Amino acid sequence: MSNIAIEVNDLYKIYRIGTNKVRALNGVSFKIEKGEFCCIVGTSGSGKSTLLNMMAGLEPPTKGSIVIGGEHIERKNESALVLFRQAHVGFVFQSYNLLPNMTALENVAMPLTFRGMDKTIRLAKARKMLKLVGLQKYENHRPGQMSGGQQQRVGIARALVVDPDIIFADEPTGNLDSATTMEVLKLIQSIVHEKGQTVVMVTHDNNLAAYGDKIIRISDGKIIAIEDNRANAAMNAAMGIEVGGTLAPPEAATVPDTGVQGYAPPQGMDTAGYAAPQDADTTGYAQEYVQDYTKETGNEV
Amino acid sequence: MKITDLLGMSLSSLFKRKARTILTCLGVVVGTLSIVVMISLGIGMKKSMMDSMSSYSSLTQVTVEQPDRYSDDGKEKSEAEMEKLYLSDELIQDFKEIPHVVDVYPVLTSSAIIKTGKYYTWAEIKGMPHDVLVKSGMKLAEGDYPKEGELSLIYGNMMITQFSNEKTNAGGYWDTGQVPDVDYMKDTMFVIFDVDNYFSAKNGSVDENGKPVKAPKKYIIPTAAYTEGGPEDYNLYAYYVYTDLDALKRVLKKEFKNSAIPDQPTKKNGKPYKQIFYNQIIIDVDNMENVTLVQQEIQSRGYRAYADAEWIQSEMKSMNIIQAVLGGIGAVALFVAAIGITNTMMMSIYERTKEIGIMKVIGCRIRDIQALFLIEAGYIGFIGGTVGIFFSYLLSAALNYLVSSSSLGQEMGFEAGMKLSVVPPWLAFAAVVFAVFIAMAAGFLPSLRAMKLSPLAAIRAE
Repeated sequence: MSNIAIEVNDLYKIYRIGTNKVRALNGVSFKIEKGEFCCIVGTSGSGKSTLLNMMAGLEPPTKGSIVIGGEHIERKNESALVLFRQAHVGFVFQSYNLLPNMTALENVAMPLTFRGMDKTIRLAKARKMLKLVGLQKYENHRPGQMSGGQQQRVGIARALVVDPDIIFADEPTGNLDSATTMEVLKLIQSIVHEKGQTVVMVTHDNNLAAYGDKIIRISDGKIIAIEDNRANAAMNAAMGIEVGGTLAPPEAATVPDTGVQGYAPPQGMDTAGYAAPQDADTTGYAQEYVQDYTKETGNEV
Repeated sequence: MKITDLLGMSLSSLFKRKARTILTCLGVVVGTLSIVVMISLGIGMKKSMMDSMSSYSSLTQVTVEQPDRYSDDGKEKSEAEMEKLYLSDELIQDFKEIPHVVDVYPVLTSSAIIKTGKYYTWAEIKGMPHDVLVKSGMKLAEGDYPKEGELSLIYGNMMITQFSNEKTNAGGYWDTGQVPDVDYMKDTMFVIFDVDNYFSAKNGSVDENGKPVKAPKKYIIPTAAYTEGGPEDYNLYAYYVYTDLDALKRVLKKEFKNSAIPDQPTKKNGKPYKQIFYNQIIIDVDNMENVTLVQQEIQSRGYRAYADAEWIQSEMKSMNIIQAVLGGIGAVALFVAAIGITNTMMMSIYERTKEIGIMKVIGCRIRDIQALFLIEAGYIGFIGGTVGIFFSYLLSAALNYLVSSSSLGQEMGFEAGMKLSVVPPWLAFAAVVFAVFIAMAAGFLPSLRAMKLSPLAAIRAE
C-alpha cells in the first residue's frame, strides 16, 4: 500500500451564477501523505473550503478525481459517501456544530451511535476521548454551558472518537481567541501525530498554517504553492523562532523577493531534497503577492 | 444505527418540543376518538340487531315445506307431481347429501286442544327428533326434555297467553290482561288430537249415519318442561308445544287408527298413506353465507324453502353501509390530524436542518435519518392513538350510560343490557395500528425531505 492518503487530480468546481461561470476550483492536483498535518491556506473565496468539502464528499466536483485510500470519492453516491465518512473521516467545524440538546458525552458518542455500537461501549469510548481533550469534568454539560474553546475540544473529541484515518478541519479555530486557538491547534497536532492520523485543515491564517507539515497555498481556485513545512520547522526550531505562533519575529514577515517560479510547487516532494527557501518563514507570506498573482491570472472566465 | 437508538433519539426529539408534540398528538386523539366511537356505534347497532334476531329465528336454518298445488304462475300440479313432493323420510336422506348441510330433521305438526281445569286452548304440537329437541337451544325454565320416545310436552312461554276460560269464553291474556292460573308441572293437562270431532261432539252434530258424534279421547300427557320467559317475551319457541317425534307419531296413529290423520295427504281413493309425512323439514347449514346456496338448491327441486338469513343479510348489508359512513365521518378528523402531523414534521425539519446536516456529515446513514423522522411521526400516531382509545372507552361508556339511564334510550327502543356503542378489543387494536400507519404516512413526505437535504447546505444553515 502506498503512503499516499489523499490524491487529488486536476480538480475543477465550476458554479454557475446566472449566466456567469465561477471557477471555484480551477484544476487542482496534489497529494497528501499518510500521517501528514496538511494545511490549506487561502483568503476567503479562494476555493479552499470547496476543496475540503469535496475531499470529504460533501460536494461533488465538476471534473477531476479525488482518491482516498484507493477509493474514488467523486464516483460515490450519497449513501456510499456516508458509509465512507463513517469508516474513514472525522470532521471538525468552525462553528463546532455540536447538537445543542445533548451533553458533551452524548455529542462525542454520536458518531459511534450511527455505527450501531452498544451504548456502554460507546459511552466508555467517548469518556476516554473527552479525557484526552481534557474535558472529563464537563461530560454532562450541554454545549450552551461551555466556552468556545471547550466546545471545539468536544468537537475534536467527536471527530477523533471513531479513530478516523483522516480528519478534516474547516477553520477549526475561526471562532476562538488567540490563546484558545493555540491550545486547540496544539491539541490537534499532538493527538494526530501520536496516532499517525492524517489531518487536512483549512485556514485563512498563515500563522496557523505554519503548524502544518505541508502547506498548500490556494488562490482563486488554483494552487500557487505547496510547501513542505517540516524542514522549515526544523530550521526555525534550530534558529529559535517559534513558527506558527503569534510570536514570530517581525523580520520574518518580510515580503519574499523571489518571483512566481519560486513559489511554484517544488518538483518531487522529497522532504530532504526540498531545501528551505531563503526566506523560510511562511508566516510572512505576503498579501501583495497574492494580489499580483491575481492580476496575472485573473479569475474571470 | 440500532433500532433502540433510533427509538430513543426520536422520542427525545419529541420531548424537546413538548407543546408542539402534545398539540399534534391531540389532533390524532380527536381523530382516533371520532373514528372509534363512530365505528363502535355501528358495531353496537349490529350487535343488538343480531342479538334480537337470533332470539326470533335461527340464522343458519332453511325451512322446507311442501309447495302449494297451484304455483305462482297459476299452473296446477297433478296428483302424481304432488305425491313426489311429499316430505318423507327418504327426502331427508336426500337433503343430507347437499353440500354445506350439517343436519336435516323433520317437524311434524299436529293441531290439538289442550285442556286443564277451567282453561282450554288450541295448540300446535310440534314433534321433533329427540336429539334435535335437546340441542335446539330452547331455554327451559323448569323441567327437562322428554326422554327418547316419551310422550311429554314442552310448553313455549307464551302458550300461557292462549288459554281461555271454556265456560265464560272470557278470552285469554291479551283480552283480560290476566295470566291464566295454569301450572304446567302440577296441573293435569288433557290433550285432544281429534279437534274436528271434539267440536262436533260439543255442538251435538251427527255423523253421516245420523249418530251423534262421540267425543274424542282425551289423553293425559305429562309436562316435560316449559321455556324461560314471561308471557310477553317472544322467541322462536314461545308459541308452540314441543314433543318427541316418535311419540307424537305413535299417538297420532293410535288416535286415527281407522281414518286419515288431519293435515296428512290422502291417496286418490281417500285412503291414508301408510307413512306419515312431515309438515316441515328443517335444514341446518354450516354457515350463514351458505344459507342462500342451500335454499336455492332446495327450491330448484320444487320445494318451498325459506330462510331468515335472507333478510338478515340484506339488513346486515345496509348496517355495514351505515357503519362505513359513520367510520368515514370519523376518518375526516383523522385525516385532518394527518395533515397536522405533516405540518409539524415539516416545521421540525426546517428547525433541525442544521442538526440533520451535522448528523449526515458525521456519518449518520441517510436511511437512519429517514427512519428517525418516520419513527417520530409514528410515535405521535401511537401516543395519540392510545390516548384516543382511552377516551373512546370513556365516551362509549358515557353514551351507553346515557342511553340506558335516560328516557331517551327507551324512546329509541333500547332494552336493558343493550349497548349503543361497543368497542371490541380488535377495534381498539386496529385503531392504534391505523393511527400509527396514518401518522407514518403523513411523516413520509417530510422524512424524504430530511433525507434529501444536502449535508453541506444543511450545515451552512443557521
